[in-house]
Amino acid sequence: MKHLLSTLFILLPSTALAQWASVSEPKEEVFSWTAPLWPSFWMAWTPATFALFCGIFGAIALIGLLEGFKLRDGLERRGILGLTTTLGDRLFISLLGSAYIFLAWLGLAGQPVWWPLAISMGWMVFCFWKV
Amino acid sequence: MKTENQKAWFFVLPVLLLVAFNALIPIMTVVNYSVQETFGNNVFFWQGLDWFEQILRSERFQAALGRQFLFTFLILIIEVPLGIIIALSMPRKGPWVPVCLVLMALPMLIPWNVVGAMWNIFTLPKIGLLGYLMNDVLGITYDMTQNPFAAWVTIITMDVWHWTSLVVLLSYAGLVSIPDAYYQAAKIDGASPWKVFRYIQLPKMKTVLTIAILLRFMDSFNIYTEPFVLTGGGPGNSTTLLSIDLVKIALGQFDLGPAAAMSLIYFAITLLVSWLFYTLMTKDDEQ
Repeated sequence: MKHLLSTLFILLPSTALAQWASVSEPKEEVFSWTAPLWPSFWMAWTPATFALFCGIFGAIALIGLLEGFKLRDGLERRGILGLTTTLGDRLFISLLGSAYIFLAWLGLAGQPVWWPLAISMGWMVFCFWKV
Repeated sequence: MKTENQKAWFFVLPVLLLVAFNALIPIMTVVNYSVQETFGNNVFFWQGLDWFEQILRSERFQAALGRQFLFTFLILIIEVPLGIIIALSMPRKGPWVPVCLVLMALPMLIPWNVVGAMWNIFTLPKIGLLGYLMNDVLGITYDMTQNPFAAWVTIITMDVWHWTSLVVLLSYAGLVSIPDAYYQAAKIDGASPWKVFRYIQLPKMKTVLTIAILLRFMDSFNIYTEPFVLTGGGPGNSTTLLSIDLVKIALGQFDLGPAAAMSLIYFAITLLVSWLFYTLMTKDDEQ
């Protein structure tokens, strides 16, 4: 019994010390797509949502530049839906359509969303190719 | 004619900045909220697409969405024909023109919450003029605080009273812009009033009617203040439209994540329907 107690007395501070050491150690920062990007900022950005908007604004900027300088009137044409569309219109239709593909999938089948991702990509290709 | 330079962009820039502040930044924030959970204090936890799944499958959301579509459909099929009929029967010349225009514009000048309060007092069964007339004079049971059907009739009537004028004024603007030569030609051909309406007036009103329908669709789909003040979404949930439900979730329950997901779904619906309306109604002009 005495032996056990003495062992405990030795062990307890050492475990505390061990913990203390682990607390004081700087944690290794691991990048996560879903962690807050700037924790105290009210817009609550995460790398994932930030990348989403970068993608959308990047696409708008690219098409804007293309329409403005390279391809006059954005390759206006009449597609298979009977609509006269420019590149910008096609981007809008593909983004709106993708949003609906994801929403429909989430409502009817639920997560994960790999399938709607594939379908939306197909939809985007279709929009820029045929619409 | 092709654009020769890009100077026009500088004129659009101030509007673009304004829109960035009052629309883009809030929408981006809502997207961020819709994939996270918060208990306040600016602390957020990743939630993925759970809120979207939850909202899309909730009966409460589906019911509110159904009510919203019904409301918008009813006010559009009443206000648009009624507005055109009133515009057609208004004088085109003479001293009565300004009188008619001012009378038509009056309901639109009243703030939305005042409209709700006015109609509330007007229709309450015991103290309201309409309530008293229906219940005590005509003997028709009418109580919008208890009966869902009466509540619906009241909010629809209130919206028709408030917003038909917009359709009237826009249609009227379209009508007065038609040159007399068209009517003279129709008279020479012996066209009936219906034919004059169908082949001269309606095509000439098309652009303004497109704008009127779009504005009425968007306004009625996003309506909040008037039914909230008038019925508060009741009796029960019978007049809880999407926006009322959204505010209940966001501010009443402080469920920012689900509320953000719901508002994005709401936004997607408004965007799609507005785009469809606009595309379909301007499609013929291109041909």
